[in-house]
Amino acid sequence: MSSFKKELVSLEKDFEEKNIHVFTLGGFKLWRSTRFVKNKEWGRDKTIQLFQFFISNRFRHGVHKEQIIDQLWETASDRDFKVALHGVNKILEPNRPSRQESKYIIRQGLSYHLNKNKIWIDVEQLEKYIALANRSSQENSQIAKKAYRKAIELYEGIYLPNRIYEDWSSEERERIQVLILGAYLSLAELTLKNKPLETIRLAQRAISIDPCWEDAYRIQMEAYLLRGNRPQAINTYRKCQDILNKEYGIQPLPDTQKIMKKIIQI
Amino acid sequence: MAKKVNQTASFMVRFTQTIFEDEKGNNIQWRGKVSHVQGGDQKNFGDFNDAMEFIQLKLQELTLDATKDKTPEEQVGLLNKSLYIWKKVAKTGPKILLETIKDPKKQVSQIQDQIQDQISSISDELGTKVALDQWRNASRSDFKKMMKAIDSLSSEMKLLNKEVKRLAKSQKSK
Repeated sequence: MSSFKKELVSLEKDFEEKNIHVFTLGGFKLWRSTRFVKNKEWGRDKTIQLFQFFISNRFRHGVHKEQIIDQLWETASDRDFKVALHGVNKILEPNRPSRQESKYIIRQGLSYHLNKNKIWIDVEQLEKYIALANRSSQENSQIAKKAYRKAIELYEGIYLPNRIYEDWSSEERERIQVLILGAYLSLAELTLKNKPLETIRLAQRAISIDPCWEDAYRIQMEAYLLRGNRPQAINTYRKCQDILNKEYGIQPLPDTQKIMKKIIQI
Repeated sequence: MAKKVNQTASFMVRFTQTIFEDEKGNNIQWRGKVSHVQGGDQKNFGDFNDAMEFIQLKLQELTLDATKDKTPEEQVGLLNKSLYIWKKVAKTGPKILLETIKDPKKQVSQIQDQIQDQISSISDELGTKVALDQWRNASRSDFKKMMKAIDSLSSEMKLLNKEVKRLAKSQKSK
């Protein structure tokens, strides 16, 4: 088995190996030992927010308590933070004996972070699939396609949609959106020759996320051309031209125009 | 005093670079999108001036919203002070940028400090460090574009100040 294949299999197994599953794309859901944790079980909204904050900051090796309080509360005391943290720990490990350290929220002095090795998080997984796909696309396009598809399956919508007005979640939302747009386009390129219909669908999804993503229009035009659908190819170019003109006051790039010229000459 | 969240405006700016060849040879184009986190509005831009205008507008709205309980005179005064950060940037920016072109590394930190000073002088709430480290790799043409943008912003500021003064006068006469 190639190392890419092993990596893909191991990523697929990740879900079964972990006890806590967190979904953040398109909506927030948490499953503990195959049991869905209902919203009301979280109690206060600040408890959910604190956990989501830990997810958004999972790359940092610890966020100081004061920084967390500063970002999540208008005016808060230590007590508010402790109550919310207790709520998070109770959701993750309801049967944890008191005084025993949490397995999932690691405390180092006054800093806290999520133990992401113990929790399955959709965005974390999505990123791993995309990283694998990008690395393998030159050597093993089959693995790359599978990995991109897995990532796309995970993308059910924007990151934490009910927190779009919260400062602390916006960086992660933007990062994931750019990642997934890239994944749509890369997979669309890989499927262009043999599955142009899939390319069209992928490009359309990319455009629905960002209507100004010119690469998506271009590859869609190429796919329509391969399918022999000249009118749709022209239509796609017009849409691209209109949106670029409206949003930036510019014309499509020379590469896009070249494809259009090719279509006209047919 | 308004709540802290009502005194904060965050912006996410995405730049997408496209390098392409046309009849003039190699070319580069930047496309951007700026989003106002708290309000959810966003704007696409091909010219950085448009992004600056968008940010400026949102900051003005923030000032006006937070000063609803003040008299119109006080509001005008605060709005004037709020716009002062743009005036200062417009006044000192081109000179520093010229020096930056000569010695980018040394001057970038100077720009950062100067802008920071202006922001701090207006409000502690706006005291987040402006991250300019990413600009270290900007090219000369990028700096030229920025200088042009700042010049144009400066002219717009003059017009805006006139308008604010006119409003203030009309309020007084009432």
